[in-house]
Formats: sequence, C-alpha cells, structure tokens
Amino acid sequence: MPPQHKLYWVFHYLLLAAFMAFAMFPLFWLLKVSITPNDLLYSEGVRLWPSRITFEHYASVVKHTRFLLFFRNSLMVSSATAVLATLVAGAAGYGFSRFHFRGKFFIVGLMLITQMFPLVMIVAPIFRLLSPLGLTNSLSGLVIVYTAFNVPFASFLMQSFFDAIPPDLEEAALIDGANRFTALCKIIVPLTLPGLAATIGFVFTAAWSELLFALMLNSSADVSTFPVGLLAFVSKFSVDFGQMMAAGVLALVPVCGFFLFIQRYLVQGLTAGAVKG
Amino acid sequence: MASSGRRIEPYLYTLPSVLLIAAIMLVPLVIGLSYAFRDITLLDPMSGDFVGLDHFREVYADASFWNALKNTVTWTGASVVLQFSLGLVLALLLARPFKGRAPVQLLVFLPWAVPSFLSALNWAWLFNPVVGPLPYWFKAAGLMKTPDNLLSDPQHALWGPIIANVWWGIPFFAITLLAALQSIPKDIYEAAAIDGAGSIARFRRITLPLLAPTMVIAILLRTVWIANFADLIFVMTRGGPADSTQILSSYIFTVAFQRLDFGYASALAAVLLALLLLYACALVGLRQALAARN
Amino acid sequence: MLIRLLLGCACTLLCARAGADTTLRLVEVLSSPERTETLQGLVGTFEKQNPGVHVEITSLAWSSAFEKFATMVSAGDTPDVVEMPDRWLSLYAGNGKLESLEAYLAQWGETAGLNDRALQVARAVDNTAYLLPYGLYLRALFYNKTVFREAGIAGPPKTLEEFHAAAQKIAALPGKSGYCLRGGPGGLNAWIIFGAAMAGNNTFFNADGTSTFADPGWVKGTAWLVDLYQHGLAPKDSVNWGFNEVVAGFYSGSCAMVDQDPDALIAIAARMKPDQFGVAPMPKGPSGKAFPTLGYVGWSIFKSSAHKDLDWKLIQVLDGPAGNLIWNQRVGALPVYKAAEKAPYYSSDQLKGWFAELADKDEVPTLMPTQLPGFAFFADSLAVRTSQQALLGQLSPDNMNKQWAAYLTKAKQKQARGK
Repeated sequence: MPPQHKLYWVFHYLLLAAFMAFAMFPLFWLLKVSITPNDLLYSEGVRLWPSRITFEHYASVVKHTRFLLFFRNSLMVSSATAVLATLVAGAAGYGFSRFHFRGKFFIVGLMLITQMFPLVMIVAPIFRLLSPLGLTNSLSGLVIVYTAFNVPFASFLMQSFFDAIPPDLEEAALIDGANRFTALCKIIVPLTLPGLAATIGFVFTAAWSELLFALMLNSSADVSTFPVGLLAFVSKFSVDFGQMMAAGVLALVPVCGFFLFIQRYLVQGLTAGAVKG
Repeated sequence: MASSGRRIEPYLYTLPSVLLIAAIMLVPLVIGLSYAFRDITLLDPMSGDFVGLDHFREVYADASFWNALKNTVTWTGASVVLQFSLGLVLALLLARPFKGRAPVQLLVFLPWAVPSFLSALNWAWLFNPVVGPLPYWFKAAGLMKTPDNLLSDPQHALWGPIIANVWWGIPFFAITLLAALQSIPKDIYEAAAIDGAGSIARFRRITLPLLAPTMVIAILLRTVWIANFADLIFVMTRGGPADSTQILSSYIFTVAFQRLDFGYASALAAVLLALLLLYACALVGLRQALAARN
Repeated sequence: MLIRLLLGCACTLLCARAGADTTLRLVEVLSSPERTETLQGLVGTFEKQNPGVHVEITSLAWSSAFEKFATMVSAGDTPDVVEMPDRWLSLYAGNGKLESLEAYLAQWGETAGLNDRALQVARAVDNTAYLLPYGLYLRALFYNKTVFREAGIAGPPKTLEEFHAAAQKIAALPGKSGYCLRGGPGGLNAWIIFGAAMAGNNTFFNADGTSTFADPGWVKGTAWLVDLYQHGLAPKDSVNWGFNEVVAGFYSGSCAMVDQDPDALIAIAARMKPDQFGVAPMPKGPSGKAFPTLGYVGWSIFKSSAHKDLDWKLIQVLDGPAGNLIWNQRVGALPVYKAAEKAPYYSSDQLKGWFAELADKDEVPTLMPTQLPGFAFFADSLAVRTSQQALLGQLSPDNMNKQWAAYLTKAKQKQARGK
C-alpha cells in the first residue's frame, strides 16, 4: 500500500476519536450511574461524576439477586446459538453461493419473509407450538428459537463471504479427486475466517440481548436470561437505576471477552497471493 | 452416480436451515397471518369468527395507521442512512492497521452489546433535563432555547430514539463492512495503485463494486429489522407525545395488548409485511439492474 | 451403625414419596425483590400448615406483566392463584377464567371483618366476588415541604383555587414547577380526579347509560388542567411523563406536588427525608367535595385449577387478618379489615394523610369504571393520546371530553348487551 500523508493520519485519528467519544459516552454514563449512591441519583443527576461513589450496587447485584445465574444462562444460550446458527447458516450460505437450483428463489424469499413480520404477533403461536414439546420454560427451547431467527441473516452474510471466494478453488480440488465437503472444510473455510467471526459475533450478540422471547417463553428464574433479569429492576414504583446499570456494566464483561476473542479473526486479511485470478 | 449426487447436493446444504425455519417460524407466521381474517379478541373464547377483509378495510380508513406509517418511514429512513454512512466510514477507518487498532475496535463495537431495553432507559435518562446532561449541551450548542427534554417535543421527539438507534446500530454495519473489506484481496489495490489510480478512484472502482453485494443485503435486512424494531421507541416515548413517535410496529403492539384486538393487529402486521416485501423486491431488482449494467 | 443409617435414609425417602406432593402455582405480578421475600415468608407459613403441599412462586416484572400473563393464559399455561389488579379483573372474570369466591366467603369466619369497601370492590364484576382484595389504594396529594417553605406557602392546598395559587407561587421560583403532571401513560387518574372535583360529582354515567364526560362540569375540569400546563405551572416536558419521570421530578424538587397512591410512599420515603415531604387529602372543588380515585388489588383463583380448596387455604394465609397486615406493611396499601385500621403501623405520620382523607365525608373515594369492556384501551391509549393533544393545544378540552364520552357510552352499551 502506498504510504499515506501525515495529514491523512491526523484526519484518521480525529475521526476515530469522534467515533469513540460517541460510542463511549453513553457507556460512561452507564458506569457513572452504577456507582452513584441512591440518594444522589436525582439530586446530582446532571453532574459528570458524583460527589461520592459507591460499589454497593455491584455488591447488591452479585449478592442479593440471581444475576450470576442469569449470566450463566445467557452465556450458555448465546454460545450454543452462535455455534449452531453459524453451522446451519454456513451450510445454507455455501449452498446459495455455489449452486443454482430449483427452489433457491423461494427458499431465499421465505427466509426474507420470516424477518419481516412483527415478532409480537407470532409469540403466542410459537408458545403453543413449543409447549407440548416441553420446550417452553427451558434453555434449549430458547436456543432453537434463536437459531431459527438468526439463520436467515447469517446465511445471507455467509453467502456474501463465500461469494467473494472464486469457485475455481473447489473446482481445482474436485478435479484432484476430493469431495466437495472436504474441499469446503479444508480450503474454503479457512479463507472465510473473517466472515465466520463476524457471523458468530452477530449471532452471539443478538442472542445475548434478546428480550421478547426470553420473557414470553420462560417463566421461572432458573431459566431466565440476563435481559429478563434487568426487567426485574423496574418495579411498579421505582426503577432501580443504580443496580440496573451495575448489572448492565457487569454484562458487558463477557461480551468484551467474546469480542476480543473473535477480533483476531475479524481483521485477518486474506493472505495475498493465495487467491490469484 | 456423480451427477445425481450433484443435484441433491444444494438441497443437502440448505436442508437443515429450511427445516428449522419452516418449523419454528413459518408455521407460526401463517397462524399469525390467519388472525388477520378473523375477529380475535385476546382471551375471549367466544371470539374468532371469520370476517374476511373487514380488518383491511378498517386499516385503510384508520388515521392512526397512516400516521404510524409516515413515522415508520422517517424512523427507518433516518436510522438506516445514518447507521450505514457512519458505519461505512468507521469500517474504512478500521480497515487499515494502525497502532491501538485492537482496543479501539473493541470499544467502538461495544454499543452493539448493550440490550436495547437498557440502552433505551440510558438514553431516556440522558435526554431528561432533571438527570441528564444532553438538554444543557443542546442549549449551549444553540439547538434549543431552553434545556427541555427532546422526547417531549412532538415535532422532534422521534429523533431521540433515532439517535439511540444510530448509536446502537453503527457497529452492525461497521463489522459487516469491515469483514467484507477484509475479503478484498490486497493485490487488486496494489495493481490499481501501480496503474496510477488515486485513493478516491480506488474506492469508487474497486471497493464500492466489490462491497455492493454485502451492502445491499446488509441494508435490506437492517431496514426490515428497524421497521419492526419498536423497543427503543416504546421505552423512551411510549409512542407519544400525541402519537408523534408511534411507528407501525409499536401501534401493532398497542392494538394487540391494549385493545386486545389480535385480529386487527394481525391485519396491520400483514400490511407491514406486504410493504416490506415490495421494498425488498425493489431493492433486489435495483441490484440486479446495477449488476447487469456492469 | 451404617446399616441403620442407610435404613433411615431409605425410610425418609420412601416416606417423602408417600406424602402426596401437590404443587400449587402462585403468580405475583407487582413484583419487587422485597415483596417476593415477604410473599415467600407467608407461603412458608402455609406450607408448614399443610405438609406435602409445595407452592411454586412465579414473579412477573410489572412492566411486562400484562402481556406476559395474557400470553401464558391464552396458551393454556394457567396458574392456580394469581395476584389480580383491578384493571385486569374485568378481563379475566368477564371471560370466565376466574372462580367465584362467594361460597368460600360465605363459610369464612373472617368475612365479617372485611370493611364494606373491600367487599364492594371484590364484587365489582357481575356482583360476584372474583377476588379477595388485599389492599385499597386511594389517591392523595404528596407535596414537597421544602419547596413550600421556600415559596412561603403555609400548608398544603385545601381547594382547587389554593392549589392553583400555590402552583403559581412555586412556578415563580427559578427552575421549579407546581404540579408533577403525568401527561403520559397512567395519567388518567388525575384527569378524572380534577374533572370530578370541578363537576362536583363522580357519576360517570347518566341513568340512560350515556357518559357524563361531555357535561360542562367535567369539561371545566379538563380545561383547568390544560390551563395549568399551558401557563407553565407544570413542567413543559410533563406532557409525556410516565411514572418514572413524575417521581424523578418530585424527588429532585423540580415539581412540588403530585397525586399518588399509598404504595408510592415506600419508594418516596426511601429517597426523601420525613421533613421534606408530606401527604394531604386531595384539594376540593367548587362544590366543596373531592373525588380521589380508589384502586384495589387482590388474590384470585383460576377456574382451571385442580386444587381449589387448597388455593383458598393459601389465600386465607396470604390475606387473612394476620397475613394481610404483614403484607400491607410491605406493599403500602390501605387495609381491607376494619380492625386493622387500629394497628400501630397505620398511625404513622405519613399514613395519617390517608386516614384523614378516609374520615373526611367530603372526600369521596371514586371507583373508575374499570369493568367496562375496552377500558384498558381507553385508559392506556385513547385518553393518553387525546389528553396530550389537548395539553399541546391541538385539541380543545370540549372536543376531548366529547371523544371520551362517545367511547365510554359505546363501551357501556356493549356491556349492557352482554357482549
């Protein structure tokens, strides 16, 4: 890459700083409210930093609520969904990318349509569908529902990443006698690591913050996820902002860890030269 | 033997997803849509008569529907345009390696990880002059005469949830476009640079066309999702004041759970579905036309 | 030794299995961690009295409780006992989901101890008791003593004129407002309270079933409140204020007066010191009367329950005189038992305000017509939208009341037709 002007880099860093400020400020506010004692919450609301800080909200969340259980549930559901959805969507995306077949248009169309209907109208039918199967009030039921919802988008995403890789690579392997599936796993997949990382990241985050189905399908605390747990801080008479923000900050920790993990793959560029012509 | 195996292959790859989606989503979708043709009141065992197209006639005549539709267009349009353009800029900024890229990347992607409910409450808090700083900054910047709550102003209240939505949604486009950018082989850029193309020309001739398929899908899906996404509005303004921030999706929720009229709510949802389908067809058609031109 | 231990274990296991294990499902909807704790305590007492019976408590977050519970019930996932708010009663009782408690009440020794209002509200739907109320909620006026002192006002306003004058004095102070208006969802109570006070009566319907909302007295009430807002006596943002914003305004002192139920007292008392706020009866209108709204919550048994007698036993523990006192101290409602009013808990300074209200013959507790079909839509959607339009000047008070009257008349007719 040709070297860039210094001016370009100044501009580059300034813009980045602006983005970071925009992204971080509300998160900073989350943090700030989480360490403000209850009696100062309204009287010192506008200040950038409270006159007295406290960690009682964090202690409360960890000791007096079942948040650690909710995090555990969320982690389990989100990881399972991420893996399952990426596998299923990867296969579908590959199918869409490499083949033209009868019914492709309809399958793609149907996938699109499932994303267009307001979810609130299908909650009741889904509940009735899953109830006799024992999948309501369970974590596995949630995983299945979340996978179903995320597969369409994940498939399209994976398709576009597969599209960027010329089919000649598999053709070459097929001519050499390998079957398509092995070619897919051994050759294509390593080249789509950024795409895989992005897909896993999306599905994990989507499942992590999902509220409607976690709320409607599961009732008992043992199988509640963390967004549902947040709702409990909103009682009829008060929103316990301090504890809610503390729980929100705590919840960002596993997600940060997850992002850090996939980040490496996200920015791994294609090794130039392997894909010529 | 090889050819028949080949013919089944695509179906094998797509089968798991099709089965899953058909079972979990299509069946409930059809059931949900069927409510639109019946008179269904929540919890009323006596309701359920078939009423044909009555609900759709009601939709056409419903002023609240047209108001919600107008707001939906504003909401979706503004959110998508801002999220996409800012997300693209961010992706371009992050595409080049630089010192500190890893932590910067992590920090700018974090908003995506905050559940929408928490994000909405946080932003509502920020906009409230009693406890938040933004009204005072708006006044200082000359955008407001007195530090008022943006969410209470019927002319501009929708911008509150839009800003919150943009904050939350930039990482989506940034991550998608970044991953797509990373897939473009570097040698193409090098070859163009050697041929003397400047960075703007490289962007226009190489980056944009190669990104186009991903961009179209991302924009299409994001638009569809945002049109249906009422969480932020519901928590921040409840559709008020005076329905100025009511979008179709929140109106459907209101009809379903306050009027308990699942039949009418379903009809509204069906109309929304039809409109989004039209939009999808238009976008895909546009992309085919552009691809054909190249 | 070991063998005896093993035998002992085996015996316990077998015996535990032999005791018929019944599980009752109890759903609470106005949940908070403290309430759940108290509920678990009361449930523990019940379980001790009835060995072999286990109660499974499901706590729904109030902000989504209605939608969640409705979805559960419509899909057949019904509990045995549920906490039933007044606004939900007509929906579930009207659709035949609840068991009538008349037979149980007739045999119960404590029924005579319930005060008249409790029995009246229990029978709100079809004149049949579908719930056993645990608490009554009467609106009263909370006022900020500190701001009042600052504005030079001696005491809480007793009439609407005094209220208006006090609001004006307070609004003259920089950064302060008189009334924390709840212009957003949940604000219907205030419109009805002030409307009825101006009209001098709280009859919602004429003898012929038409709504009285379009009458000049009620319109004057609406106009009075709109006027208050448009002259800056309520904060400009309050047009879309929900409960959280209202109390945020009250806590921070930016608005000095708010009408609220006794259960809000707990939250307010946790955030303000006793000398910073007080509670007074609602101010009276030109006719010398005030009409604070009365709400109630109770326990109901689902018709689909397989253990109705056990359910009633549970309710007796939760809502008998002893349990009720414990429960109400946690939830802050006014008691349903005549004897309870003498309990020491109820003579605290703040609660005196409510008892003064109850004792005053010119403060007439008003039941809103929650049992009308479509009332939820009226309260949560139509009233909110039209009242916001009125506050913003997009709709005249006259037109707003006309729309309300039209809707309620239709609802009343629908009810009369028996759906």
